[in-house]
Amino acid sequence: MITHQIKKGRDLKLKGAAAPNVVESPLPAFVGVDIGFLRGLKPHPLVKQGDSVKAGTPLFHDKGIPEIKISSPVSGKVAAINRGDKRALLNIVIETDGKMDFEIFPSYNPSLLKTLARDKVTEELLGAGMWPTIRQRPFSQIAHPNQTPKSIFIHAMNTEPLAADIDFVLNGKEDLFQAGLDALTRLTPGKVYLCVSPNPKSKALTKANNVEIHQFSGPHPAGNVSTHIHCVDPLNKGDLIWYVEAQDVVRIGNLFVNGVSLSERIVAITGEGAPERVYKKTIIGAPISHLLGTNHLSGMRCIAGSVLSGRIVGLNGFIGPYDSQMTVIPEGGKRHFLGWLAPGFNAVTFSSAFVSSFLPAGEASVDTDKHGSDRAIVLNHIYDQYVPLDIFTYFLIKAVMVGDIDEMEKLGILECDEEDFALASFACPSKTDVGGIIRKGLNLIEKEEAVNH
Amino acid sequence: MKFLQDTLHQAGKLFEKGRPLEKLYPLYEAMDTFLFTPGKTTPKAPHVRDHVDMKRVMIFVVIALIPATLMAVYNTGYQILLAKGLPIDPAQCWKLGAFKVLPIILVSYMAGGVWEVLFAVMRKHEINEGFLVTGILYALTLPPSIPLWQAAVGISFGVVFGKEIFGGTGMNVFNPALTARAFVFFAYPASISGSKVWVAVDGYTLATPLAVAAQAPRGSSAIEALNHAGFTFHNLFLGFIPGSIGETSALACLIGLAFLLITRVASWRTTLGCVLGMLAMSTVFYLLRGPDRLAFFNLPPHWHLVMGGFAFGAVFMATDPVSSAATNLGRWIYGALVGVLATLIRVINPAYPEGVMLAILFMNAFAPLIDHYVVEANVKKRLTRIAVKNV
Repeated sequence: MITHQIKKGRDLKLKGAAAPNVVESPLPAFVGVDIGFLRGLKPHPLVKQGDSVKAGTPLFHDKGIPEIKISSPVSGKVAAINRGDKRALLNIVIETDGKMDFEIFPSYNPSLLKTLARDKVTEELLGAGMWPTIRQRPFSQIAHPNQTPKSIFIHAMNTEPLAADIDFVLNGKEDLFQAGLDALTRLTPGKVYLCVSPNPKSKALTKANNVEIHQFSGPHPAGNVSTHIHCVDPLNKGDLIWYVEAQDVVRIGNLFVNGVSLSERIVAITGEGAPERVYKKTIIGAPISHLLGTNHLSGMRCIAGSVLSGRIVGLNGFIGPYDSQMTVIPEGGKRHFLGWLAPGFNAVTFSSAFVSSFLPAGEASVDTDKHGSDRAIVLNHIYDQYVPLDIFTYFLIKAVMVGDIDEMEKLGILECDEEDFALASFACPSKTDVGGIIRKGLNLIEKEEAVNH
Repeated sequence: MKFLQDTLHQAGKLFEKGRPLEKLYPLYEAMDTFLFTPGKTTPKAPHVRDHVDMKRVMIFVVIALIPATLMAVYNTGYQILLAKGLPIDPAQCWKLGAFKVLPIILVSYMAGGVWEVLFAVMRKHEINEGFLVTGILYALTLPPSIPLWQAAVGISFGVVFGKEIFGGTGMNVFNPALTARAFVFFAYPASISGSKVWVAVDGYTLATPLAVAAQAPRGSSAIEALNHAGFTFHNLFLGFIPGSIGETSALACLIGLAFLLITRVASWRTTLGCVLGMLAMSTVFYLLRGPDRLAFFNLPPHWHLVMGGFAFGAVFMATDPVSSAATNLGRWIYGALVGVLATLIRVINPAYPEGVMLAILFMNAFAPLIDHYVVEANVKKRLTRIAVKNV
């Protein structure tokens, strides 16, 4: 086991962690397969309203690569196909029948997975609609099944504020996890790297075989995929690296061993606004209101993911395919008289400009207030201390602002994702959305590449 | 408070799109967010943000300038009394000083503010709080006898040509306050150099310590010349000497520096770089001292730190994050070169008694080049990684 000590970055310690016990959530009456935020997919529906589906029946496929499908997590009837602006597909809602009938896919003896042909693995994952669990760098989008990555990273730790403890979540799932790892090793001629937090306890992580285990200690973003790739197997221009969430490895293992596409997911319910802060065992696609209830949530923001990198879902949203955390915090927006002069005994800050900066750090309460207005970037020296990649953040975002693709690539934008700069955006007194700028740059490069091909 | 908030809200409607005062929205926004925090929420991730904002950062720099400003007021009055041979009465010092210094600060803020608002309105962006700092920084670098209209012309030049033509706050190459001062320096040399301007008494002549050291005969002791003129290390450090109004006291600058470093608003690398650069260069001169050398050579290096505008420049001017180097290594290099250049100019260039302003402006121009090489090293590292892989 190799250990990496991450120095740059900082933990944002918040109130509202999930208690370490798993509560089983009943099967919801409706589930929604949300795809509006999936990158690298042009979805086209394969079902109509009223169709009966089983768990594992494909609901969408990609227009570009039709083999890439997304399947239904439950059995039941298609209740609605929702579209947004310009008729872009948002989600498909399924009314569950409570029976959980599964589509049956080929199953394999776990001991044979290590020697399975690559094509078989790809075929099985594509067929069961499980392929989108594999994402690629650069661009953090769904991987291309015909390409071969130089290595695969298993994201089995998370340092985001209040994030689910993956080590805890994987407890007792070592067999399926190992089966999933074995299947994934077939997809790359290189190594599979299992990235974990220091001193894991679950057997899934400690006893994992056929992979190289790397431990990452230190402050957030020590748990980000970019940080892992940077320390273990840096990404260069032209390289391709794939990565998979640890809970999805279990699902992949289940698919190969039992031949069914199970969508089980343990989600940490966190944040001071959440009524019941525990780990909930549910399924991908479960409605947010089903997990949180609807009481006491007015004036709250429901976020799938963490406060730093999650997306706003609201009570009408659904648990997405990569989510393992829900955060609920109060909305901000109160105005304070002469706020710039306030001593700030309770201010949440990385700066030293408040009394609280000099008080012992405890767990903080936060809301969604921006705490300032947008300004030109002046303090350009604060970003890099929160980015453990070898990146000059200020120069990189300037290159993006002027749209200089060549310069962006030289400065390493392909190694980054917007989540890597969430702390920089958090700390910026000019309230610059650093991650948003990085994403703009990545999109620009993608568009350019699409034109050239 | 609620009443005030509601009144503001009502008034704000006049500034909305399509209403009569639409164009002046930046002015309203500045006023509104000065009184109350904006109360805006995050539109997307990151959903939470640090409590610190640009207003607070800039106000902190202004707070750091308070000791220098108070000293400016007091010392200006003190020098007047001294020149007139009147007994030193602290109340009188404050009063006389305030009459001289406050109008300069006020004019600087008003003239600078007008341009700031004008550009904000024309370019439809918010008023950046940076001008709160620029306005007072510039005022503190002027001699107490400066005609107010010259002060106004200077800051106008600084704001427009030092900042706005580059695209406004965050884009400027040169420090706007120093650009303003440099403009006055070259446009109205009689008002800002020589020995007649440093005490606000008409016709009174008193050389600054820098001039004294520069004009001492070759081979003579610079310390003796300074002491003879009444300048001891002690009063140079405290600042009871003639000079630009806010720059005389190294102690006031040190207090400001301590505040900036504790609150981590300024980069310690730049300031330390400046100090080390100046000490290194003045040590070289000191080692070369001799009977046929300039008297300035034999001034011990630590004297340089308390003379002229060095302390003020190193703490408040060179550290401007926008016009200084933006990489950590770059800041060291940039700071050190400011120190070296300032010493070079002040010691061996007879045309300019003080080199700090010019050294910083010169290095402002070179900061992008320094950064370029630092960043280029990072790019090369990335390229080598590919090269190694392909072997």
